[in-house]
Amino acid sequence: MKAILILLPAALFVGGIFVVLFLLAARDGQFEDLDDPPERILHDQD
Amino acid sequence: MAAAIILGAGLERYYAERREFAPRPQGEAPGHWSAVPVSTGADGCAEVRLAVDGLRCASCVWVTEKVLQRTPGVERASVSYATGRATLRWRPGETDLPALAGRIAALGYRPRPLGVERRPDRGLMLRMGFAGISALAIMGLYEGLYAGWWYGAMDPRFAALFRWTALVVATPVALWCASPFFAGAWAGIRHRVPHIDVPIALGVAILYAHGLVATVLGKDSYLDSLTMLVALLLVGRLLESRERRRATEAATALAAAVPRTVRRARGSTVETIPASELAPGDLIDVGSGEELAADGVIVAGSGLLRMSLLTGEAEPVPVAVGDKVVAGAILADGGLTIWVSAVGDETVVSAMARQLEAAAERTAEPTSADRIAPWFTAGTILVAVVTFLAAWHFLGLGEAMARSVAVLVVACPCALALAGPLATAAGLGAAARRGLLLRSGDALLALADINVVALDKTGTVTAGTLTVVDAEDAVLRLAAGLERYSTHPIARAVLEEATRRGIPLPQARKLHESPGAGISGEIDGREVRLGPGAPGEVLLTEDGQPTARIRLGDLTRTDARQTLDRLRGEGIRVALLSGDQPEIVERVAREAGAAEVMARMDPTAKAIWIGERRRQGDRILFAGDGLNDGPALAAATVGIAMATGAASSVLVADGVISTESLAPILGGIRAARATRHAVRLSQRWAIVYNVVAVGAAVAGLVNPLVAAILMPLSSVSVIWRASRVEVAVRRAER
Repeated sequence: MKAILILLPAALFVGGIFVVLFLLAARDGQFEDLDDPPERILHDQD
Repeated sequence: MAAAIILGAGLERYYAERREFAPRPQGEAPGHWSAVPVSTGADGCAEVRLAVDGLRCASCVWVTEKVLQRTPGVERASVSYATGRATLRWRPGETDLPALAGRIAALGYRPRPLGVERRPDRGLMLRMGFAGISALAIMGLYEGLYAGWWYGAMDPRFAALFRWTALVVATPVALWCASPFFAGAWAGIRHRVPHIDVPIALGVAILYAHGLVATVLGKDSYLDSLTMLVALLLVGRLLESRERRRATEAATALAAAVPRTVRRARGSTVETIPASELAPGDLIDVGSGEELAADGVIVAGSGLLRMSLLTGEAEPVPVAVGDKVVAGAILADGGLTIWVSAVGDETVVSAMARQLEAAAERTAEPTSADRIAPWFTAGTILVAVVTFLAAWHFLGLGEAMARSVAVLVVACPCALALAGPLATAAGLGAAARRGLLLRSGDALLALADINVVALDKTGTVTAGTLTVVDAEDAVLRLAAGLERYSTHPIARAVLEEATRRGIPLPQARKLHESPGAGISGEIDGREVRLGPGAPGEVLLTEDGQPTARIRLGDLTRTDARQTLDRLRGEGIRVALLSGDQPEIVERVAREAGAAEVMARMDPTAKAIWIGERRRQGDRILFAGDGLNDGPALAAATVGIAMATGAASSVLVADGVISTESLAPILGGIRAARATRHAVRLSQRWAIVYNVVAVGAAVAGLVNPLVAAILMPLSSVSVIWRASRVEVAVRRAER
């Protein structure tokens, strides 16, 4: 069970990374326009 | 000046075209773009958001984006097809906004400065995401603890580690993520309007306080339920604010019709400046098709001024030196120099719009969930106290604490709070997909109760455009040849019809227009003249001999009949209100199938009629398009403006029809009814659920595990029901 003492902080650390990534993405406006990006794939590329 | 024909021709009863005819000034000098405020980021890049008109398809967006991105100095350029907005970011030294706007304009699209826009609520998004991720983490931790109930408790030291970790993760959720609910509850209590946030804040506070105490004492708590509930509630809030923003965005885009630039005359030179810099005493030039930016007096030139959006008067008015003119009027033909007497908020049209806005400011109706909230809170506390006292007396302090906390926890009206926002968001979306953009959820729910639909005639039931009703090809060819370079409403109608029929235009020579008498010229070696005829007609004369007539009219929208029939099918009465002559109104009413017809009504009369009917208990939807419809829009239960109408009517209305059709009214009412049904059903079930759960808590059947399973379940059922709104609307359409 001692593994938990390592795994729990490790899991929280990894989880924390995702939280930070999410916060950065949200702050950057990634979730503000959810309608256009899906259509973008249909456009012809250069 | 040929447009003065319209008066001589007895066409005053016909309303001239509006949208096509009064384009916002295009291809403006790039000068005014330098006056648009630009925000500068920390990295020195300038950023701005623009509206781009004329984006017809996704490839337009793609082309615009690519061209902008390849412009040197541009850091980022994105264009949204859904909202018609472009976001530009550039390095100021290398390019500037006038140049970028010019690039967009060169592609054939029309960039437009935006007014002040509400930024999306990022705080809500951040909170929701954080609460969601935390909920998942805590769920994992508590699963381990719950497993111990069956497989033997885990080592107390590890259990404590798990509980404390959960508490650490839950703390920001309770204190930061849930802060909007605490703020809402506090505001509600301070203003003595306890709404649904009060019991929610109470529930969250108790859940967290219990979690704190239980963790210290080494017991399982409801922290997993707490984070899950906060996350779900924030999803509801987020959806609500997203829909509301989408609706206001659409409305503000339409309302931003006030001209943003004017041509100011300075001595012998003319400069283009932003309308905001205009001051009383300035002289401005106004050309054909332009909207007046300020009130003033004409000092030079003459023309034909259309004020239908302001006064409801159909016919353009001839104006000349010395006449007073008002902002918002459109110069149908001619050219004017105006001495500015009032600008901005001082103008007559602004004053009218302000009055209307004040009249239209409805007090926010409390939702049914908010009405229940005080009773709900009081009832919950009462039950908790009684439970505590009774359990203390019979079962001891520990059990009393556990049961009363359980009561307060399961009574948290999460599902009740979600029912309204989720279904309303779904309903607003369903209405928007059908062309009706509503400003608020309240407007949507009011729409569900509508039993009378009252419509303005011109521009609403009819297209509001002058159209050729009857003319032979050969006649049309000659008329179009004459009218080729003219901009007045008849010319537009004639040219449009000629183009539609594919008639090649002959070259006319010696064109001569004279006010009131018509337009003449030489085509194919013959002297041709187009002039006034019988009412509703223009007369074509060749070599002095009258040879043919062209009949013109304002056509009823093609889908009007079908829509009004279907409205009747839904049990809704239809009335037609118009300021026009009875014969015309009745003809349109016959074509469209309206039951009640009220002709010769001025703006006030419409509002009075609506007020009268509302006092008799009718719930009235009024749809209109002019500023003169403002009082009626404000008086109605739900006021709907046409997107093609006056900006100020859009401002006072509860909603806007974004397409040129009446069908969105029907679609909106169906969406509203489906929403109301979903909200009622959800709320009913939420209350049943809460009552049953509170009963179980009193009986001591609720523990953290039961709460963790049952509480999200009721919320999920609410979400599912909201997702069925669109399905219900489609079923009604079949």
